[in-house]
Amino acid sequence: MREVKIVSRRFDVPDVDRLDVALEHGAYKAVEKAFSMGSEAVLNAVCESGLRGKGGGGAPACGKWKLAAQHPDPVKFLAVNCDESEPGTFKDRQIITKDPHLLIEGIILTCYAIGAHDAYIYIRGEYHDFQKVLQKAIDEAYGAGILGEKTMGHDWRLDVTIHRGAGAYICGEKSALLESMEGKRGHPRLKPHRKEPEWYFGRPTLVNNVETIATVPFIVAEGPQAYRSYGTEKSPGTMLFALSGHVERPGVYEAEFGTPMMEYIERFGGGIKGGRALKAVIPGGASTPVLTAAEAAEARLDYESMKSLGSSLGTGGMIVMDETVDMVEALKNLLGFYHHESCGQCTPCREGTGWVDRIADAVVRGEAEAADLQKMLDISWTMNGKTICVFAPAVSGVIDAFVEKFGDEFQARLRSMA
Amino acid sequence: MSEKVKKMVKITVDDRTIEAEEGAILLQVLLENGFEIPYYCYHEALGPDGNCRMCMVEIEGKKRPQISCDTFVEEGLIVRTDTENIRRVRRGILELQLVNHPVDCPVCDQAGECSLQDYYMEYGLYHGKVPKAEKLHFEKHLDLGRNVMLDQERCVLCKRCVRFTGNIVKTGELGVVERADHSHIATLPGRKLENGYAMNVVDLCPVGALTSKDFRFKQRVWFLTSTPSVCHGCATGCAIYIDHAKTKFEDDTIYRFRPRKNPDINGHFICDEGRLSYKALQENRLREARAESSSIGFEEAAAQMKKMVESWQGRIVVLADANLYIEELEMVQIFANRIGGKLHAPLDAYRDPAFEDAWLKSAMRAANAKGVERLGIDTSMPSSRGEVLLINFNHPAAGDVKARRQIDLLTHRPETFADLTLPIAAWSETSGTLVNEAGIEQRCEQALFPNDPVPTLMTWLEAWDLGERCLV
Repeated sequence: MREVKIVSRRFDVPDVDRLDVALEHGAYKAVEKAFSMGSEAVLNAVCESGLRGKGGGGAPACGKWKLAAQHPDPVKFLAVNCDESEPGTFKDRQIITKDPHLLIEGIILTCYAIGAHDAYIYIRGEYHDFQKVLQKAIDEAYGAGILGEKTMGHDWRLDVTIHRGAGAYICGEKSALLESMEGKRGHPRLKPHRKEPEWYFGRPTLVNNVETIATVPFIVAEGPQAYRSYGTEKSPGTMLFALSGHVERPGVYEAEFGTPMMEYIERFGGGIKGGRALKAVIPGGASTPVLTAAEAAEARLDYESMKSLGSSLGTGGMIVMDETVDMVEALKNLLGFYHHESCGQCTPCREGTGWVDRIADAVVRGEAEAADLQKMLDISWTMNGKTICVFAPAVSGVIDAFVEKFGDEFQARLRSMA
Repeated sequence: MSEKVKKMVKITVDDRTIEAEEGAILLQVLLENGFEIPYYCYHEALGPDGNCRMCMVEIEGKKRPQISCDTFVEEGLIVRTDTENIRRVRRGILELQLVNHPVDCPVCDQAGECSLQDYYMEYGLYHGKVPKAEKLHFEKHLDLGRNVMLDQERCVLCKRCVRFTGNIVKTGELGVVERADHSHIATLPGRKLENGYAMNVVDLCPVGALTSKDFRFKQRVWFLTSTPSVCHGCATGCAIYIDHAKTKFEDDTIYRFRPRKNPDINGHFICDEGRLSYKALQENRLREARAESSSIGFEEAAAQMKKMVESWQGRIVVLADANLYIEELEMVQIFANRIGGKLHAPLDAYRDPAFEDAWLKSAMRAANAKGVERLGIDTSMPSSRGEVLLINFNHPAAGDVKARRQIDLLTHRPETFADLTLPIAAWSETSGTLVNEAGIEQRCEQALFPNDPVPTLMTWLEAWDLGERCLV
C-alpha cells in the first residue's frame, strides 16, 4: 500500500492555515501556472485527470465543469459545498481548518477554468469555529492581493464569500444548497430534463464539494497524469477517507482509490477496537447501504467495487461496527437522524421517514410484530425512486440493507405471538 | 393573444392515441382527455411543484415511474396510467399522506369534495395501521385572518396556498415551517393573511386544511347545487358558481360563491368581496308590493302601475340599473319608448376608485355597464324639473332624481317607500346575459327557485304586451 498525500500534503505542517506559512510550503504555485496555461487548458487538465466529485455522488467533475464553462451567460458562479453533514463524514472540515489556503487556491483555479468571478462557500451552521479559520484565511488572501480585483496581480477579478447555512442536512444537496443561498427554504429542486448547469439566481453555477476543489491545485501543478498515476482506471487519484466507530485510531487519512477496505482499516485505523471481531461497516457516510464483515473483506475503496457490492463509496466516511453493536438499535439511531432531517417537501420522505422511525423504535422496544417489519419494508419501497432528491432512496437503501443482512437480529426482537 | 404556432404531436396513453401540444404538461393533457390521475400539488394556475408525488405514470423507456406534472409532451411518448405498479405507488403514497391525518371527516367541511377521500376510495381502502393516539398533532383551529381557517393536521403540504400568496398575489403571507413530518403551513408570528384575494386558498386547498370561516359548518357540500353565473360585484364579470341548496323546511338559499374558470376573464380566481357579495344579495329582500307604506296584492299593484303610467304619459323618466341583464335592459328600453319615457342609466353612481386594483377589481361597480353603453342608453343623470313620474328599475341613485310621483321596482327593501313599490327577482333568480367591461358576453343561469318567487322585471311589463322578447 503506497503512501500518498495530495490533498493532505500540508496537514501536518504547523500553522499552515497562516498565509505566510502556506506560501513557504508551496501554496498558490498552481495559480501562476494556470494563468500561463490559459483557462481552457486548466479545464482540459481536470477532464484528463478523471477527477470525480468527492461529495458523495462520484460524478466526473469534467461534465459539470464543461456545462458551466461553455454556457454563454457571462455571469457564472461557483458554489463550494461545505455543508458536510453526512454522519461519519468529517473530511472537508480538515481541509478548511488545516489547510484553508489549499481550498482558496482550488477555488481560484476552478473559477478561472469556468469563467466565474464570484465564488460562495456554503458552510453548515454547526461549523462555527471552523468557519472562522477559513474566513481568516480568506481575509489574509484578500490582504495579500491573492483575491479581489486583481488575482495575484493578473487583470482578473475573483471574490470569495462564505455563506453560512442554518444546520440542515438537506442543504448539502446541491439544488437545496442553492435554494438556501438564495434565501429560501432548503428544498431540493426538480431535476432538469436535459444536461444543464445548476442555477443560482438564474445564472449558470457549478457546485462542487470542498475536497474536489482542493484536489484541483495538484492536478494543475503536477499535471493530470500525475493524478492518474494513483487509484484505478475508473476511479483515478486519491480521497480523504475517514474512519469512525470501533477502530483504534479514528480519523481522516488520505489513500488511493482501490485500496482494500480492511487493509485501510488495519493500516490507518489500527484495526478493530480492543481486537474484537468486525460485524459491519457503513462504507461512505450513513446513507450508504451497510456492508457485512464478509463484504468488507472483499471491498475496495473505489466507486466500482462498492457498486458491485450493492453499496456506494459515498463520501468515503467509514463507520466501523464491531461484534458488540446491536444492529436494530443502530438502524433506529440512523432513522432518527433521517426523520429529523427530511426536508418535508415530498410526501414519501416527509411521512415515510417518520413512520419507519416509529416502527424501528417499536422493534427496539420489543413491541413490533412481523407485520410491522414488513410494513417498514413496504414504506421503504414507496420511498425508493419516487421523490425529488435522493434522500428518501438513500434511507430506503439503508433500511433494506440492515433488515436483509441482519434479519435474524430484527426477527429476534419481534414480539412473539405466542 | 398572439397566435403562437402550436405544434401538435401524437402520444399514446393506455393504448389510446391522443393529440397534444408539444411541450405541454403531461398531467394537464391527461386530465383534459379524461384520464383520472390523482394529484394534490399541481394546479393549472400555479403550475407543477412536484411535491405530492401522486400523479405518477409509467413512461416507456423510463426505468421508474415519473410524475406527470413534470413530464412534457413529445412526439411518440408512450404513457401508462393504470398499471399494477402505478396503483401500488399511488396506494403507498396515499397511505403516507394519511398516516398523520386526523380522519375527522364527519366534522370536516371538505368532506364530499376532498381529494383524500376520493383517492382513498379509488386506491386506498386499507385499514389504518397507526393508532390515533400515535398520530402527530398540530393546531386545528388557526384563524389566518380574512375568513380563512387553518387545520394543520389535515394538511397534505401541497403548498398550493403558499404558491398562491407567493406567486399570484405576491403578498407571501404563508409559508412552511419545521421539517419532515413536523412540517406545517403557517404565517409569520403575529402576522395574518392580508390580501383581498385570500379566500381563494380555500378553493385551492385539495383537502380540509383551509376552510372558509364564512362557509364552514353551514352546509354539507353534497346538498349544494352549483349553477354557473357571473359575479355582479363590478364590471370585470368574474365567472362564478352559485352554490345553493333548498333543504327541508328551508327556502332556496345561497351558501357560497366559488370562482369558475374563465381564462379570458378571471382565470381561476375571484376577489373576496365578490365572493362574499352573496350575503347582501339575499338579505333584506323585498317580497311584497306596496302602495306607499301599505301592502297590496300583485294584481292590484300591476293595475295601479298601469294607471299611473297612463295618466303621466309623456311626462315620465325611466331609470335602469346597470346590473340588469341585457335582455331586461332591452325590454325596459322598449317599454320607455312605448310610454314616451326618457330612459337613463346613470353610471357615475357606480364608480368606486377605492375598490379598483391592478388585477380583478374594477372601479366600475356595475356588472352590465358595457351592456348599457352597447344599447345606447343615456348614461347621464336625468335633469328633471320635478313635474314627472319616475319609474325606477332598481337604480341605486334614484333618490337623486326630482320627481312628483315615483314607481320603484326593487330587489331589496328601500329605507322609504315610494308611491308604488314593486318587488322584482334578483339576478340569481332569473337568467340573462351580461357584457363585461372588456366587451365579453356571459350568460348567467337562474340559480334560485324560491318557494314563493317574486315577479321578474319582465312580468311587471307584461301588461304592455311588448312582444316575444319578453320571454327570456
